[in-house]
Amino acid sequence: MRLVRHLVPALVAGLFWAVPLSAQQTTGSVTGKVVDASTQQPLANVEVAIAGTPYRELTRADGNFTLNGVPAGAQRLRATRIGYGSQIQEIAVTPGGTTTAQISLAPAAAILEPVVVTGYGTQRREAITGSVSTVSAAAANVGVVTNVDQMIQARAAGVEVTRNNGEPGAGVQVLIRGGSSISNSNEPLYVVDGVPIYNEPTEPPGYAAAGTPPLPRNPLNLLNPSDIASITILKDASATAIYGSRAANGVILVETKKGTATGGPSIEYDSYVAAASPAKYLNLVSAGDYKNFVAQQVPIFIADTIACPHTAPGGKIDPNCFNSARGLDPKIQSQLGSANTDWYRAVTRTAVTHNHDLSFSGGSEDTRYRASLNYMNQQGVSLANGLERIQGRLTATHKALNDRMRLGVNVTTSRVNNRYILFENRAGFEGGVFQNAANLDPTQAVNVNDSTYYEPGGNSLRNPVALANQVTDLGRTTRTLANGTAEIDLVPGLTGQVTVGLDYSAGGRDIYFPIASPLGRTLGNGLARVYSQDNQTKTVQTLLTYRRQLGESHSLDVVGGYEYSKFTKNVAMGQGIGFVTDALKYNALDAAGTLRDSTDASESRLVSFLSRANYGYRDRFFVTGVLRYDGSSKFAEGHKWALFPGLSASWHLTQGGVVRGPFSDLRVRVGWGRQGNPGIQPYNSLATLVGGTGATYPWSDVPQAGVIPHNVGNPNLKWEQTTQYNGAVDFGLMNNRLAGSIEYYVKNTSDLLLEVPVPQPAASGTRIENVGKLRNRGLEVTLDALLASRPGLTWRTGVVFALERSAVLDLGPHQFLRSGIVSGQGQSDQWAQRILAPDSITGKTYPLGTFYGPLFLGVDPTTGFQVFACSAAPGHTANCVNGRTTTRGGPAAADYQVIGNANPDFTIGLHNQVNWGKFDVSFLLRASVGQDVFNNTALVWSTKSNALQVKNFLAPALTDGTDLHEPAIYSSRWVESASFLRLQNITVEYALDLPFLTNSARSARLYVSADNLFVITGYSGLDPEVSSLNESDPTDVGLVARGIDYLSYPRPRTFTGGLRVAF
Amino acid sequence: MKRLFVTTSIGGLGLCALLLVPLQGCTDLNETPISSITPSNFFHTEGEVLAALAGVYAGLRNTASEGEYWGVSEVSTDEMVVPTRGSDWYDNGTWLETHRQTWSANSPATLSFVNNVWNTAYAGIARANVLVEALQSTTVPNQAAIEGEARFLRAFYYYLLMDTFGGVPIATTTELKARARATRDSTFKFIESELLAIRPNLPKQWGDTTLLGTKVGRITKGAVNALLANMYINARVFKNEGAGSGISATTYNTCLSVLVSGGKDACQAAIDVADSIINSGVYQLAPAFTDNFSPDNATSPENIFVIKFAAADGLGFNMVMRTLHYNQFTPSPWNGFATLEQTYNAFDPLDRRRKMFLVDTQVNVETGRPATDRKGNPLVFTTTIANVTSATEGEGARIYKWPADPKHVQQNNGNDFAWFRLAEIYLIKAEAELAGGTGSSTPLALLRLVRARAFPGGDTLSAVTNGVILRERLFELNSEGKRRQDLIRHGAFTACWQFKDVTTGTCPRPAALVLMPIPQTQIDANALITQNPGY
Repeated sequence: MRLVRHLVPALVAGLFWAVPLSAQQTTGSVTGKVVDASTQQPLANVEVAIAGTPYRELTRADGNFTLNGVPAGAQRLRATRIGYGSQIQEIAVTPGGTTTAQISLAPAAAILEPVVVTGYGTQRREAITGSVSTVSAAAANVGVVTNVDQMIQARAAGVEVTRNNGEPGAGVQVLIRGGSSISNSNEPLYVVDGVPIYNEPTEPPGYAAAGTPPLPRNPLNLLNPSDIASITILKDASATAIYGSRAANGVILVETKKGTATGGPSIEYDSYVAAASPAKYLNLVSAGDYKNFVAQQVPIFIADTIACPHTAPGGKIDPNCFNSARGLDPKIQSQLGSANTDWYRAVTRTAVTHNHDLSFSGGSEDTRYRASLNYMNQQGVSLANGLERIQGRLTATHKALNDRMRLGVNVTTSRVNNRYILFENRAGFEGGVFQNAANLDPTQAVNVNDSTYYEPGGNSLRNPVALANQVTDLGRTTRTLANGTAEIDLVPGLTGQVTVGLDYSAGGRDIYFPIASPLGRTLGNGLARVYSQDNQTKTVQTLLTYRRQLGESHSLDVVGGYEYSKFTKNVAMGQGIGFVTDALKYNALDAAGTLRDSTDASESRLVSFLSRANYGYRDRFFVTGVLRYDGSSKFAEGHKWALFPGLSASWHLTQGGVVRGPFSDLRVRVGWGRQGNPGIQPYNSLATLVGGTGATYPWSDVPQAGVIPHNVGNPNLKWEQTTQYNGAVDFGLMNNRLAGSIEYYVKNTSDLLLEVPVPQPAASGTRIENVGKLRNRGLEVTLDALLASRPGLTWRTGVVFALERSAVLDLGPHQFLRSGIVSGQGQSDQWAQRILAPDSITGKTYPLGTFYGPLFLGVDPTTGFQVFACSAAPGHTANCVNGRTTTRGGPAAADYQVIGNANPDFTIGLHNQVNWGKFDVSFLLRASVGQDVFNNTALVWSTKSNALQVKNFLAPALTDGTDLHEPAIYSSRWVESASFLRLQNITVEYALDLPFLTNSARSARLYVSADNLFVITGYSGLDPEVSSLNESDPTDVGLVARGIDYLSYPRPRTFTGGLRVAF
Repeated sequence: MKRLFVTTSIGGLGLCALLLVPLQGCTDLNETPISSITPSNFFHTEGEVLAALAGVYAGLRNTASEGEYWGVSEVSTDEMVVPTRGSDWYDNGTWLETHRQTWSANSPATLSFVNNVWNTAYAGIARANVLVEALQSTTVPNQAAIEGEARFLRAFYYYLLMDTFGGVPIATTTELKARARATRDSTFKFIESELLAIRPNLPKQWGDTTLLGTKVGRITKGAVNALLANMYINARVFKNEGAGSGISATTYNTCLSVLVSGGKDACQAAIDVADSIINSGVYQLAPAFTDNFSPDNATSPENIFVIKFAAADGLGFNMVMRTLHYNQFTPSPWNGFATLEQTYNAFDPLDRRRKMFLVDTQVNVETGRPATDRKGNPLVFTTTIANVTSATEGEGARIYKWPADPKHVQQNNGNDFAWFRLAEIYLIKAEAELAGGTGSSTPLALLRLVRARAFPGGDTLSAVTNGVILRERLFELNSEGKRRQDLIRHGAFTACWQFKDVTTGTCPRPAALVLMPIPQTQIDANALITQNPGY
């Protein structure tokens, strides 16, 4: 292996020496003008370049350009500009003479940058052979956008972005071409300004007082969307292979804005104010209906108890008879209040967000800079919850040594203050804010009096308004992303580059459950927790790039390099329980009765050798080969290193006249590649011993600290590998007024890293092993059209369409793995989904996200029992009659079956941009069709027996015929079709033409915007779009679960008004 | 020009240097954990060895949990039921599946509770194997006794597996590999030989070290003998492969004529080890029955082998949470486990032990103030449960054998849980004598000895049969995790009882149920494991 390790860079280096240095040539000049083909207006900022050489220039405001010192002879002049199709002209440059060229560019259907960042360098759009989507940052930054993930939603085919919930800055699940892993991370790799970042949570977890703690917020909240210049998404294996081991889930490349020298210094100010409120409220039983319901049930109870004998001592009613009476106790009726409280509305609010961006940029020919400052304060639509961000960014570039050396620095530093509330992703017995809002008796008022909250008094029911206001849960992250780059032209065409990157985040969490809260008292008279977490990534990258036009026909673009990353994480936690006062909160832990603290640390390293060669023949054929050799410390000895190749090719059928007819552009692409997924935690390959409570034993009641084997270790642990095939056709019609691409892919993941049971005895029941196979296949269609292009009106529209099918092909020794824990009271040990191995007889395969449970047939109108399908086969349900059973006898495990599929049949995004005079209008529609969602909220709160515990329930249950005492049973009854169409955003922008502004400002624009204006869906829950969690719960180790809706934080509808001014 | 040349050269050289440096080093990917230990750098000092021993003991805590050996051995019997109370406690039907014995290899209760029994026992075995292996290459004070404790605990974990599943794969090294099941008889012999081998190395009592007090909760000769006594009385069940191959599901499985170590009759062997305990001078019956379960039960002279619990985070006993009503304790208990009416009524009203159940009007057990149900009515527990699939919050008598600890930390109470106490040893001796073994006192005398504190007004028991012994065990050892084992030995496990009757399933249940199924997940993990017959 050592030989191979050094062979790759040696080969790369060898390539450079094989290319002879070019000889001295005589030169000439080229001048000309570029105009818009439809309006004949001059075009500024068009890049005019001599193909295959460093000679390039931007056109001035009058569309003119001049290139000096161009080598004499036949040259190809290329003109490119964002939003226009590129144009190539053959010209002849005479030594010492001046050649003129007139170029007219036709507007293209999509606004696309002509040069694309593809990882460790850039490529001309035409030369790209892999599957790459780009998102225009300017078009996507509309409405309230907190992070880059929100910008790519529905704007790139095959990229599925789901926010965990409606919290400000909520975490997201990004799936590029479906997930490729079952128990591993499905997160794509993020690369900011060329430096890969580890997108781990930067803040420690919350305290799990209400089931699982709130989900971490998005670590990418540190980047201000207004600083983002471009987003590139690498989807297929040939494009992502350059990122090797971390690329199996795709790569998202983010480039930030840089300073420009053209047009002198500029100052921009952008500000908006937004108001948000929940788009939908839980349909709980109102106070009046609740009273009526209780009033109906009381006579049943009285009738039952009136017949009870008085046999208890003292002639009292027989308690056995009394306790088993049906209906509701009159006592419940007598305790109802006189208020009419919608508790769900009581914990939500209209939330205000304001955001201010100030940036200035400028520079000289040699030195350019851009600095920006952002302040954002976003309230959540739930009480006492929000996000505040203060962020600064500085970027500077400098050219030295006659442009042969280029230096660059990017520094982003931000502080994010998160206010969390206690809410449940999955609830335990104690509930958070939303569980209690669903539970609380609607006839009670929020406050008993001005200073006292109503508290139901029961140990598991709390006033949710009080919970939100009394419990403090603050998260904070100070994060700095910094990188410095030095680039030097060594010989013509050969450039060396060194980049050093640092990503440091200091996260913290301060939590206090006060004595004033009944929950705080239950936890032991006040509970305080102070938690800190430091993440640090250091990256060193060295690259050699060789770009050369060889003769007229051949172009070569080679990158070779080395990358080293080291990731460290340190956490420290202190917890105190039992305080005498709430005054100290978490600021004086030593005042607590009992203290506990813990620390943890981990470290991992990744070392890579990488190379990519792109060869082009006359702009007709392109071939790209990629080799990356990665080593990770996380894997077992002997399995640390792996080779990740990629190969792709494209053929431009319209270049060279192979295809004519309607196509202005036609290109086919094929690609193949293999990548890895290292998303496991460090030390999983090692057998380790740990201490902690689980190892402690109190001999003589004195706790003796102990150790226990913790991790079984797996000396064979290796990379999870994904092999992907990609075929695509890109086309343009009517001079590229209609353009698009159709892609088909097959993605096979093998050696799946799965948490599987191991033969016992072993230190733990399971360990991570490489077993199993998963296949994703999909079709992606992107269409862009220029619907109108005439003076005063431009209308561009674009559609992204994706369909994807996943299939589990092999689960090793397992028939199935359970996933998707069902939440709620009485739902322990209930799982909503199974990851199923192919059927051993029929060979039928199942996708990830397959709902599995009893098939619901209806409610028996006479008994009110739920009826399920059953099979009377031996060993199955004993009282299965005519294929029907009730909860009284089953349903038995053998009666469970596939009852739904959480994956959509297809998804569509439709974006439009209309520029009409001084107005710009854009809107984004998003649809997802065919997926099922398990409405866990409805399962738990459609049970009228909640009333027995003086809890509320959902209004539809009033009339659903189910008996008062019937338990909540997971079944197909609660798996609903959740197709939807959402107007994600609509924005109208107006260019102000006020004299006092236009005198000083270059432009001033006012805009109004609406997010999530409407959703059309048949789904009965709050929102059909639910996160697919990989929960960090030990019983559910990262197994994929999709489409489970449990009391998620409400998604807001937001209206925004803003102003952009540039000076 | 010269200046440009110089700067270019320096810049170029600098870049070259940066490019080349990483190729030399920085390909080192060795992994050394910084917040955990690897076995190779541990076990050098007495402290480290004791820490590893504490870890082996710590595995005991799980065995007495609701979804583990204790829960499986109780809820599958007539001692306990977990009724579905409205939306509470349905839990995928696991509790009623366990009570009605409708489990299969892939059913929800098997995949959770029964799987936990397997994993918890084997995790304990794995912990012991690491320590026993390490002790071969280190020297510490008290080494023989420490090794004895580790091997006892390993044997005990194997005993739980043998009791639940029959023969199991036996491993005494840390090597991780698939192993076939040993026969139940070989598993029995392995456990027996381990216990006999280590018994000489263990003290009668741990009271003489300065480090630890008198009731330290470490393994003694008495614990070894108690486990042996239990194994011998169950020898016919434990040494046969299942119903139809030596075990009767419907008649008494006597220890008589089953041969154990040294060719001794199992009944006689049970009497002999019981006598060793009785005559050791270490143990005596506690004056009051309740002394064995109170928060300070570490001082009980009767408890022989206990799981030590402490009122500290993660170290406590949470029985009160399983049984009490939401409003009877803080944090709020779960209002789940109850006993059957037929079981409650089986107690003689004069039997003081019946007070272990809470019935009638209830108080908050911490404050002593009257407790209310969720509606605000006075909380009343009734002995009846009208409908086990839709019970109300007050139905069912509650087990309150281990009272709440005033010093509890959240749900952690300091009551120890005894796996073996002297009263059971008397009952084992009586049962072995009744079966035909020869002992120093009659079965009736032994039972009366145990019953004396329960009937201070005078005991009317006049004759002993197998049925009487099984009932006495129900009264004395109720909720102590012994019921499944006792019912199997007495041929009554698959019989009918409340909520497990003809209306809810075929009853009596199949004889094969005297062994639990091996959870399918374990067979998936180890292809050499075969399922028990009948599943």
